[in-house]
Amino acid sequence: MGYMEIIIGGIFVNNILLAQFLGNCPFLGTSKKMETAVGMAMAVVFVLVLAGVITWVLYTFFLVPYKLVYMRTIAFILVIASLVQFVEMFLKKSIPALYAGLGIFLPLITTNCAVFGACILNVDKDLNFMKTLVQSVAYAVGFGLALILFAGVRERIILARVPKPLQDTSIGLVTAGILSLTFYAFKGMI
Amino acid sequence: MAKTLTQEFTKGLWEEIAPFRLVLGLCPVLGVTTTIENGIGMGLATTFVLVFSNILVASLRNIIPSKVRIACFIIIIATFVVVTELLMQAFTYTLFLKLGVFIPLIVVNCIVLGRAEAFASKNSLTFSIADGLGIGIGFTLSLAALGAVRELFGANNLTIWTTPTSIIGIQEVFGTNFEPFTFMVQAPGAFVCLGLMLCLMNLVGSK
Amino acid sequence: MLSLSAVLFMLALGAVCGTVLSVASKIFYVYEDPRIAIVEGYTASANCGGCGYAGCSAAAVAVVAGEAPPSVCIVAGPEATANIAGVMGLDPGTAESLLSYNTCTGGDRAADKFLYMGINSCQALATLHGGQRVCPVGCLGFGDCVKACAFDAIKIGAHGYPVVNEMKCVGCGACEKVCPKDIMEIKTMSQKLLHLNQYDDRIAPCQQTCPAEIDIPKYIYQTKIGDYEGAVNTIRERNPLLLSCGRVCPHPCEDKCRRGVEDEPVSINQLKRFVADHEMNTGKRLPISVAPPTGKKLAVIGGGPAGLSCAYFLRRLGHDVTIFDAMPKLGGMIRYGIPEYRLPKEVLAWETDGILNLGIEHKPNVALGRDFDIGSLIASGYDAVFLGIGAWKDYTLGVEGENLNGCYTGINFLTNFAVWQQERPHDKRPFIGKKCVVIGGGNTAIDCVRTLVRLGADEVTIVYRRTRKEMPANEVEIVAAEHEGINFTFLAAPTRVLGDEEGGVTGLEYLKMELGEPDASGRRRPVPIEGSETVIDIDMLITAIGQGPDVFFKDESKRLDEDLKLTRWNTIDSEDEIALQSSIPYIFSGGDAATGADLVVSAIGAGRRAARSIHFYLADEDITPPSKTLFGNNIPVSIFESVSGITQLPRTEMPELPVDERIKSFVEADLVITEDEALYESSRCLECCLICYNKDVA
Repeated sequence: MGYMEIIIGGIFVNNILLAQFLGNCPFLGTSKKMETAVGMAMAVVFVLVLAGVITWVLYTFFLVPYKLVYMRTIAFILVIASLVQFVEMFLKKSIPALYAGLGIFLPLITTNCAVFGACILNVDKDLNFMKTLVQSVAYAVGFGLALILFAGVRERIILARVPKPLQDTSIGLVTAGILSLTFYAFKGMI
Repeated sequence: MAKTLTQEFTKGLWEEIAPFRLVLGLCPVLGVTTTIENGIGMGLATTFVLVFSNILVASLRNIIPSKVRIACFIIIIATFVVVTELLMQAFTYTLFLKLGVFIPLIVVNCIVLGRAEAFASKNSLTFSIADGLGIGIGFTLSLAALGAVRELFGANNLTIWTTPTSIIGIQEVFGTNFEPFTFMVQAPGAFVCLGLMLCLMNLVGSK
Repeated sequence: MLSLSAVLFMLALGAVCGTVLSVASKIFYVYEDPRIAIVEGYTASANCGGCGYAGCSAAAVAVVAGEAPPSVCIVAGPEATANIAGVMGLDPGTAESLLSYNTCTGGDRAADKFLYMGINSCQALATLHGGQRVCPVGCLGFGDCVKACAFDAIKIGAHGYPVVNEMKCVGCGACEKVCPKDIMEIKTMSQKLLHLNQYDDRIAPCQQTCPAEIDIPKYIYQTKIGDYEGAVNTIRERNPLLLSCGRVCPHPCEDKCRRGVEDEPVSINQLKRFVADHEMNTGKRLPISVAPPTGKKLAVIGGGPAGLSCAYFLRRLGHDVTIFDAMPKLGGMIRYGIPEYRLPKEVLAWETDGILNLGIEHKPNVALGRDFDIGSLIASGYDAVFLGIGAWKDYTLGVEGENLNGCYTGINFLTNFAVWQQERPHDKRPFIGKKCVVIGGGNTAIDCVRTLVRLGADEVTIVYRRTRKEMPANEVEIVAAEHEGINFTFLAAPTRVLGDEEGGVTGLEYLKMELGEPDASGRRRPVPIEGSETVIDIDMLITAIGQGPDVFFKDESKRLDEDLKLTRWNTIDSEDEIALQSSIPYIFSGGDAATGADLVVSAIGAGRRAARSIHFYLADEDITPPSKTLFGNNIPVSIFESVSGITQLPRTEMPELPVDERIKSFVEADLVITEDEALYESSRCLECCLICYNKDVA
């Protein structure tokens, strides 16, 4: 599996939101405003890449050698949660400007299935370190892209005349389906 | 204010049916519901974790300090998820493979953590069990319903359970000439289907 | 073996994570509002994003910043909402509770401008053309506020605008946040008391015009539905002297009444008097709420309308107030200037007692400059001073013979008489002539003549240098004076007062005038006719040609002598006539002392404006009024040339005592309208808002 394949696959074909269905709660929750969506997307890029790398290290150097692979769920969640907290504290003190932009999104990511799911998918695929890194970046960018596109559409939906029962989340999901369809079209690329 | 045990149980089945009313826990709802079987399997796994984490949280609720309660809840849930994973690997290996990453993802399912925080940490053991069961079964029903619609139109089948030797359910519901509407079992179909079901719920609920 | 390693691994991992985090939390410690952590603790912490914020801590930050309602968490439920609301300082013991209220009463009656077929959301509608209705500031009626309210406290009422159930409202602010037209406001009582009319307010012309900014349509509506107590409370948000104003106010509001464009205006002031009298006649004082104490001490100098109003509002804002008054009893000019037959002093006493009952201290018989000065006030711990000393010094004619025996000045005469009548009725009555002349055309002059008539003067004449049309006195007063047999000599300019050898006044010489060419202002100026000197025989003369503040205290106080700036009319100068701060920052002024002789209701408005400035001054906040402040101007779109669909309905006439009965005594001449009349008159009100009005009433 080449790097190009991983990148295209991660961003479009196997888009973590629209094809793998990971991270849908924040996808619907934070896509009502473009501003929030951008912040969320940036934060996910940041944490997903870091978490991907750290969990790979944990998995490859601790869990596998000591035959503790079955403990990965609990180990990953602990490490990701701690990582997020640490990053949050670090940013708040050291890079307040970045914290102002991303800070409030970080804790959310602790229990974001996109981050956790991507880490599990990474180790499942048995990738090497570089590929894990590239894969994580691709997933994260895919997440951000889908979220921002979706937020753009959703900001417009408010102007449309939607039948009452379809309003809000319902039409949001149908829209997401159409967006998913467009991403689906990239399947031919790999 | 005080509800009976039955009310705590039944509220999860309709009033507060998680995926539809609260629009929570959507990832597995969308991800695994290609067949009824997957939906039921995922739902039961979640129910298992939900009930047992509720039990543990409710019995420890006076011991866990409130400052670190969220971390504790996550560890408790993660433990039961690991247990579920191991049990499923042992007894329903094919289903485990089909559900894939979504089983470990129960740990980050907002419904589970949400119930632990909002209900089990404040209510007695029996009520917490009723709540966990109710919400879990409601969740399972939602998944099964969505799975049924998607499988019916997308694959022309209704598979309730697969054993190594036989399949419980109906194959080729609309006959062999029916061209399955494969869009439904694919990713975009999941979104559209859930969106329309939500719309249906709103229609029914508003009356 | 396997499980042992698993347990060991988890312990090790947990220990590493815990240690790293606890060390990091010390190293990277940054202060943040502790409420954020508490609020976050009450959320479900599931980070589901269902609230629209990026997770629970983001939602908590938004709640603490006031951007999200306490009900933000959709998972945690009502208990958490209550807890969060508690954290956000809604504890009744330490803070005033916030209440939501709707500022638009237009609703469905505001005409549509565009056909709108979009979704039922105000937010969406506001994005298109700013709304579909003609009114630029009105409610859109789709009820985003209703959807936002987690407490079920808002409903769209029968008229298409939101109605808040105050029992259920917790003041979370969710409705205010979602309203695209800023219709919903979340305010404490203090914030409501401090609000000045603004150009973007949804207010009817009458309310714009009222110098005290009373919400007139609201209290008339409350009267109409029989909620007299509500009407009294509405008036008290702007005017503590409703009994007095209901009697003496010349009601400038009625000049701008929209019904008055096509029909006779609504008799607004009589309705005010009706509800005010209703409260007094029940004998039960309605409770008046007061904000929690602030610990600030304020001195109000002068117990007249301005001082009483300022003291009343400052007290309601939670400050400690002391009124220092030179006279024995409270009321100032409305007690010692306005005669008994216009405002019975028993009524005034009931009103001022109600104000003192709020917990205001009253120090009578002490005059600034004589018994104390500003320095002594500051030394005794007062944080700011309001100067409401009124305008008690009569202007003089500047003609020969003005100081003869039998010559008086207007305020002086009225005050002397009032003091005798109220305080020393057993002493000798002040001198009253047989043939009396009062010079001047204002309310003081009319008060003098009507008083003289009641005291038994045979012949009472008003001498005024212009015509009746130019008389500044209230029309009703002039008419009443005419009915009571007063002679009017118009176009007469006094030139000399004649006296006998003993120094007593015997006659007044005046020059006849005629109206000349219109001057720059378009009014025809009176010009004297050469050689038209005329003498009338009199034995008493009262000069009531205007008055200004008596600022003798200024010479007595070094501090004031240097710094307190006065205008050339001896009124206290303030840089901003809305903020009313004098040249000494801690001294504020208002009423006649700041503007020269003016209406009671203007003084009441000024008292509230000064109270607002003092309140902000004490809190170290900017006292500059918002640039959009209306200050008695009218909002152009709200003033109509014509009002369609009006059916003529006669205005309720003011009941009066018969003339021959009333001129024998000082019994109140004007009577209160009956309840039926009040209900009829209030139903004439068009219930106007900024541009719409209730066509059903018309």
